[in-house]
Amino acid sequence: MNLADGVQLVSFAVLAAMMLGAALGVVLLANIVYSAFLLGLVFVSMSGMYILLNAGFVAAAQVLIYVGAVNVLILFGIMLVNKREDFAPVKNVWLGRAATGAVCLGLFALLGTMILATPWVISIAPPAGDDAMVVIGKHFFSDFLLPFELASVLLLMAMIGAIVLARRDLLPDELADQDGREPPVALKLPERPRELISGKK
Amino acid sequence: MDFANLAAQLNTGVILPEGIVLVTLMVVLVGDLITGRASSSRWSPYVGIAGLLAAIVALYFQWTTTTNPISFLGAFNGDALSIVFRGIVALSCAITLLITARYVEQSGTALPEFIVILLTATLGGMFLSGANELVMIFVSLETLSISSYLLTGYMKRDPRSNEASLKYLLIGAASSAIFLYGVSLVYGLSGGETRLSAITTSIVANNGEQSLGVVVALVFVIAGIAFKIAAVPFHQWTPDVYEGSPTPVVAFLSVGSKAAGFALAVRLLVSAFPMVSEQWRFVLTALAILSMVLGNVVALAQTSMKRMLAYSSIAQAGFVMIGLIIGTDAGYASMVFYLLVYLFMNLGGFACVILFTLRTGTDEITEYSGLYQKDPLLTLCLSICLLSLGGIPPLAGFFAKIYLFWAGWQSGAYTLVLLGLVTSVISIYYYIRVVKMMVVKEPEEMSDAVKNYPEIDWKLPGMRPLQVGLVVCLVATSLAGILSNPLFTLANNSVLRTPLLTPATIAPPASGTALLDQPSIHSSNSTLGG
Amino acid sequence: MLSALIWVPVLGAVFIALLPESLVARTRQIALAIASAVGIWTIILASQFDVGIPGLQFQESLPWIESLGLTYQLGIDGLSMPLILINSLLVWIAIYASDPNINRPRLYYVLMLVLGGAVAGAFVAQNLLLFFLFYEVELIPLYLVIAIWGGARRGYAATKFLIYTAASGVLILAAFFGLAIISETNSFDYDVVQSQVLPLTTQLLLLIPLVVGFGIKIPVVPFHTWLPDAHVEAPTPASVLLAGVLLKLGTYGLLRFGLGLFPEAWTEIAPWLAWIAVLSVLYGSFAAIAQTDMKKIVAYSSVGHMGYIILASAVATPLSLTGTVAQMISHGLISALLFLLVGVVYSKTGTRDINVLRGLLNPERGLPLIGSLMVVGAMASAGIPGMVGFVAEFIVYRGSLPAFPLQTLLCMVGTGLTAVYFLILINRVFFGRLPESLANLPRIRWQDRLPSIIVTVLVIVLGIQPSWMLRWSNVTIQAMGMEEVNRLVQVESESTRLAETVGDSESVRRLVESTETVPLTSMTNPNSIAFTPGKEAASDKSTEPLGDRLIDNSLPHSKLKPNI
Repeated sequence: MNLADGVQLVSFAVLAAMMLGAALGVVLLANIVYSAFLLGLVFVSMSGMYILLNAGFVAAAQVLIYVGAVNVLILFGIMLVNKREDFAPVKNVWLGRAATGAVCLGLFALLGTMILATPWVISIAPPAGDDAMVVIGKHFFSDFLLPFELASVLLLMAMIGAIVLARRDLLPDELADQDGREPPVALKLPERPRELISGKK
Repeated sequence: MDFANLAAQLNTGVILPEGIVLVTLMVVLVGDLITGRASSSRWSPYVGIAGLLAAIVALYFQWTTTTNPISFLGAFNGDALSIVFRGIVALSCAITLLITARYVEQSGTALPEFIVILLTATLGGMFLSGANELVMIFVSLETLSISSYLLTGYMKRDPRSNEASLKYLLIGAASSAIFLYGVSLVYGLSGGETRLSAITTSIVANNGEQSLGVVVALVFVIAGIAFKIAAVPFHQWTPDVYEGSPTPVVAFLSVGSKAAGFALAVRLLVSAFPMVSEQWRFVLTALAILSMVLGNVVALAQTSMKRMLAYSSIAQAGFVMIGLIIGTDAGYASMVFYLLVYLFMNLGGFACVILFTLRTGTDEITEYSGLYQKDPLLTLCLSICLLSLGGIPPLAGFFAKIYLFWAGWQSGAYTLVLLGLVTSVISIYYYIRVVKMMVVKEPEEMSDAVKNYPEIDWKLPGMRPLQVGLVVCLVATSLAGILSNPLFTLANNSVLRTPLLTPATIAPPASGTALLDQPSIHSSNSTLGG
Repeated sequence: MLSALIWVPVLGAVFIALLPESLVARTRQIALAIASAVGIWTIILASQFDVGIPGLQFQESLPWIESLGLTYQLGIDGLSMPLILINSLLVWIAIYASDPNINRPRLYYVLMLVLGGAVAGAFVAQNLLLFFLFYEVELIPLYLVIAIWGGARRGYAATKFLIYTAASGVLILAAFFGLAIISETNSFDYDVVQSQVLPLTTQLLLLIPLVVGFGIKIPVVPFHTWLPDAHVEAPTPASVLLAGVLLKLGTYGLLRFGLGLFPEAWTEIAPWLAWIAVLSVLYGSFAAIAQTDMKKIVAYSSVGHMGYIILASAVATPLSLTGTVAQMISHGLISALLFLLVGVVYSKTGTRDINVLRGLLNPERGLPLIGSLMVVGAMASAGIPGMVGFVAEFIVYRGSLPAFPLQTLLCMVGTGLTAVYFLILINRVFFGRLPESLANLPRIRWQDRLPSIIVTVLVIVLGIQPSWMLRWSNVTIQAMGMEEVNRLVQVESESTRLAETVGDSESVRRLVESTETVPLTSMTNPNSIAFTPGKEAASDKSTEPLGDRLIDNSLPHSKLKPNI
């Protein structure tokens, strides 16, 4: 084992420990803010893994998107809600936890066995290394062109959806008043609440 | 390289129908911005329907003239099967649009955006029906799913809609994650292949025929698909989501989304997992049995119409799975035929539920009592659609069920068929319960909702399309059975002309791309089969 | 030709459904006109029907759905012709006997006509799936008729009817699937599936669900509970159709598909069928004695009398099969008559309780004509000579006695019991002193009397001249029975060749005995058919003594000549 391998092994061990520890923290800690920050740590250590795999671009993207965008968004969400609630202690809570633990352990054992037992095919293509960006770009404009374009539709729609959910709606009654038409009073829908939550200032 | 040359290389003509839907979507979106809310609510449904019908016409031309179905370097496969499924998805969206306009308008939400999101879901479903590559499958699946989550929560002032949306989102995200995990295992097992046609060859070449990894990947993938088609035990979201979300969305989810899920199931399982076909057939058999039994039995106890239809749709998915499990030509054809018929009868049922909700504001089954007095057309249509769902002759559902069961029986799936027969008797009970409520009850037993039934007025904005949708579904459900030969031919041809499903009998069509390696697939299939 | 029997009522129903508001008041007349048209058409068909042909007549064949093996194949033979006649008659009578002021007339007549068309379709369908289709089509109209116009517990009764019949449909469909899958062509055409020879175990495997399925419809005793409920709650016209025609779908199906397709297995299960028949007869009769509701008495008597049909069909000799047809017609007419009369009594007095009703035969203030007809109906049902019930039951017993003596004797007890419960009914309801509470009955109109009178006349005429009833089916029945005999001869001769033992086989003995009784047909029915024994049949059969003996006794259908 030369020095490079040694460094790689040690880095891997450190990153793996960091990731697992942080992930456990996300799940087990009671305070949701800690969980959110630890989630960021998980993402960061994952991007370290990518660097170990010689995938610098993916690592950068991971940090940018997950830590920079997703995790920050989660933190914003948590802080905006800012609601503390004390839950009543559940009886025999250990039973549920034990069952969950058992299921998780079983799943872990299954997946572990599967990973060890399966003869994985190692891709023979040479690692792209620093050219990853170019390779990915080529893929985007050749065989992954269609999913790439479709993703743009997906994002557009997600944006529209977000706007629709976030905006303040005017109710048709008021619209109708402006137009001078009769509002459809005889018909009611379950969707329409008795008191109007938004729309009136 | 000029554009025409590029387009020819990518064979972009295959996704022309999707292109039309996309353009329609943009027209609605931009037109809404330009013309303003008041006028766009009036024209946008018609633009949407016109676009979808144009897409169906384009699909028809592809059906008659298709030469090379593979496009975008193997990302998309426009073979006969995908044409039929894309047609089903587009048609279901068109009918959903017909019955949507009034509902959305009356609920006081914006119609054009709703149509845009619905069209996006349709686009996702159509792409999913032909997706031939793992990345494409996942992206189109997510397009369909995320649009569905948004649609479910579209009535944002209604807490039930919010709840439904959140539940759907959480369970859907989890199932997507599981599906993605399975897909990534397939990617790893095949040594970095994403095209479905190459995966099997690669896995068989590298791993031998079976390994634990393939089975685990299979189970995860099936979990993802079963969520989409709402098969027991991945159905828990269905009743709550169906009850809470806007009814037109439920109509689309129960038909369009489900059809896309079945298209995915056929393509993915048949082309990527032929080496474990025993296993996936076994798993699906279990799912089908559970779906038929649980769906039909639990539906008996429902008091809300939408919940009942939710469980009924679970049960119907169980029936359709029979066709998938047996895996013969007749099996796939009967599945396609059933979905075609199911489209009309289920959408017809939902159109009636929407109309009733619009007029009375409730969807409790007991509130339907005595409806024949006030609204004969609605009563007739709902009765016909429900009886057809129950498989009463001479309605379309009877023929669809008979074909499905006959195909199953022919290939020896006796248990499934007998169970299907028994559970359809059970299903008659809860369908007839609604019919009884509407038709049998005397005027004095009329429910309050029906007593206060408003004057029938088809002239209100958005009511005319609803009426058209209702009548189309009614006519199709009553006559598609008796005059079903064209549909049978369509279903049979869609299977016979799909090289994927009939590897032994029909030589693969001349493939334009060198990336595809179909002959080797067929040879590996035949060795497996032998 | 035959399509008109199905499509005239169905399209007529559509026409009534689309009737403009101005004509709605005339719905009843229009429905009657349609039913009359069907009736006249049936009579024309019957007049052109050649009773000398054992096979199908007026055949129609159109391709329909090839992927399913479903063809639109119609045909009529001697077995279905009388049933078609009685169906057209009873549909007309049911429509005529309906309350003119019935609630929601349009829907009512639509459903009645669809019901009639569907039943006719089932009787003439020569494709298994087509039969199943018509068998299921009839379900919803009758369900709705019971559920809308029925009595107090109509919802329960209608649902029970629906579930039982749907379950029977499932069993029948499963058997049909099983049958078609074995035929290489995957065809559901009757003549195709009939021509194949199946091993005995397969036959049994398919026959048993079929028997249970049709048994629910007939109904035989463990599955009969839906019938009294349905009858009691159904309006009178629906009861008439249910008892008169719909139950016959079960026995017709049993004969056509059970006996016709699985002859060897049929002989295997024949003793069991006979015991089931005994159970039905005795249970139905005893249950009828225990009832206090007139309609329930008639309903349980239906269960009992349908048992005779099963007994006779179990024997499956030409004579006993003649008995089944006779009993189908006789039960169709008699039960229709009884239900009509009970319906009149109920509509006039408002009750059917035999503990409440008294002295309705009172010539001045009672229902004298109805009462007299009721006495006639009861006599016919109990098998008093001179009426159709006697002829039918006599042929049934004469045909079944040689094969199943014990069972037949037990069934005969049922005839005695019929007399008991109908005497109880008549004694309580019609004799005695008319109480004041029943004194002022509404006037009887001709509309109440006419249907019963028509049926009574038929009951008496066919009792005096049974050949008018039997001539339709004689040749077909001989052919069916002979096929059975011939198949058995083949089977038995093969087995005897193997075992080299002749005569100790139970079924052969039964056959020999029963075929000896064949001339009785011509005895009861002297001028219908003269038989000329054929030479060629004897020559081309095996030369074994057993075969010869059978064939000498049997009547080869190729040489049958009608001589009317």
